[in-house]
Amino acid sequence: MKRTVFWKYFFISLFLIICLFPFFWMLITSLKPEGEALLISLPTRITLDNYKNVLLQYNFYRYFLNSLIVATISAMVSTLFASLAAYAFAKKEFPLKNFLFWFFISSMMVPGLLYVIPQFLIVYQFRWINRYEGMIVPHLANVFGMFLITQFLKDVPDSLLESARIDGAPEYQIFLKIVMPLTLPVIATVFLLNFQFHWANFLWQLLVAQTESMYTVPVGLAMFKSAHEEAYALKMAASTVSLMPIVILFFLAQRYFIEGITQGALKE
Amino acid sequence: MNQRWKNSVFVIPFSVIFFVFLLFPFFYAFYLSFFKITDLSNIFGGLKFVGFRNYEFVLRDKEFLYSVWLSFKYALLMIPLNIGLSIFLAMLLRANIKVNKLYRTLFFMPFVLDAFVVGVVWTILYAGKYGFLVQLLKPLLSTKVYNTGFLGNPSTAMPAVVFAIALKNVGFGTILYTASLNNISQDIEDAAKIDGAAGLKKFVKITFPLVRNTTTFLVITGIIGAFSAFSEFFAMTGGGPIVQRWGEPLGATKVSGYYLFNHISNLRLGVASATSFILLILTLGISILYSRATKE
Repeated sequence: MKRTVFWKYFFISLFLIICLFPFFWMLITSLKPEGEALLISLPTRITLDNYKNVLLQYNFYRYFLNSLIVATISAMVSTLFASLAAYAFAKKEFPLKNFLFWFFISSMMVPGLLYVIPQFLIVYQFRWINRYEGMIVPHLANVFGMFLITQFLKDVPDSLLESARIDGAPEYQIFLKIVMPLTLPVIATVFLLNFQFHWANFLWQLLVAQTESMYTVPVGLAMFKSAHEEAYALKMAASTVSLMPIVILFFLAQRYFIEGITQGALKE
Repeated sequence: MNQRWKNSVFVIPFSVIFFVFLLFPFFYAFYLSFFKITDLSNIFGGLKFVGFRNYEFVLRDKEFLYSVWLSFKYALLMIPLNIGLSIFLAMLLRANIKVNKLYRTLFFMPFVLDAFVVGVVWTILYAGKYGFLVQLLKPLLSTKVYNTGFLGNPSTAMPAVVFAIALKNVGFGTILYTASLNNISQDIEDAAKIDGAAGLKKFVKITFPLVRNTTTFLVITGIIGAFSAFSEFFAMTGGGPIVQRWGEPLGATKVSGYYLFNHISNLRLGVASATSFILLILTLGISILYSRATKE
């Protein structure tokens, strides 16, 4: 028995190593001098020059800042909009409520690529090309997040809200002081999923960002990649810079990520 | 009654964005698919009605038909591989003990990463001559693959992309299957044991049918994913290498999402809109057929 358990975990570990190896190799390559980037070996000396060059000389610090601004603002605002709507759907009555809810949910069936052209034209009309607004505003209605929060709020007992209402608290205070804290776990999930989505919203950012100063990290990486096909170590440093924030967030808050993503899948 | 209307204030911000940036675009894309854009600076006015000509153009375009075939191929390789690996890992890591949770988390991690960047990382592993994998597997490879690398060769490029993305996504399927495996009631498992079902037979006859909702979900999202896949191909192959097919030079990995992207980036927006509606109908059609066929 013990032996089969050993082989089982041996095998799984091997497979895990294969799955994670590309990221390990990315990290190793990014720490090598460019000359030995493709050698199958550990670095003869570890250097941070690639990071220095990528961030400063090739302006990735700027792209990183842009990504951070876009992803943070988008995640905050879309989570707020989603939770406001979810509060009304879960706890209030208003005209066309069920129809609207069904309507929003059914939009999840449509692949995102279909929206790209008209969204681009609208952003063009608003003169938001090459601006943060253009990257952020079109994606502020996060249907999936709204759905998750609504489901969660339905399980919050009405009595909690009623007692606050009897005390004469205004609606916005009930929302801020009672609803938000109660839904904190699911709000954290939605925030993280939104942040992750905007951090990797590559195609859209590629279309909206027109000048170098507006590039986000993946857009900068795409441009860098086509201009410097052979700069392997630099490319890997840039890739590491791009993946690192999400890896860190994932390990800090893995429970929220996993629950959020799988809950959605199981409910569909 | 007044209060009922006041309550809808909470949905306004969300709804405004939804109507302007999702609902309107949906119908506007449909509208655009019947027009040719003549003046880009005045996209709401500079339109010329062309009837079904955009649809006709796309459906007769060999490049489009080939790209649909490639998306099928991508789906046919990816979905079984993904499902097979996921359920296998889920069976092994099924028990809810600490070690297994740790493994599941580690397998899941790449799933949250950007497919484009992960693709870029794989390009150095797949590179020719000095690339990691061709050096490692040198004795097993033809000199052609050795020189071009896995992504530069028409016969290996597609499987190489599938392999990279399957490894990235395997943790997602694993977690879903684990959850539904653990929902199977102990009674059924015990009954199977009494009936003497074990091993592969038990898996095929009992376990696998019981998790079919998860399988259906993975197949349908897999189909949608295959017909909208773009970033990973953009990063790894650029749609290439070029092959001679159906009397035309065509990209060996230029899947339908890539075909659509090319029209968008060349600002052929009417044709692009028609393409996206054809793809929408195709994906919905296949998904509905699949879920009908599996509903016993």
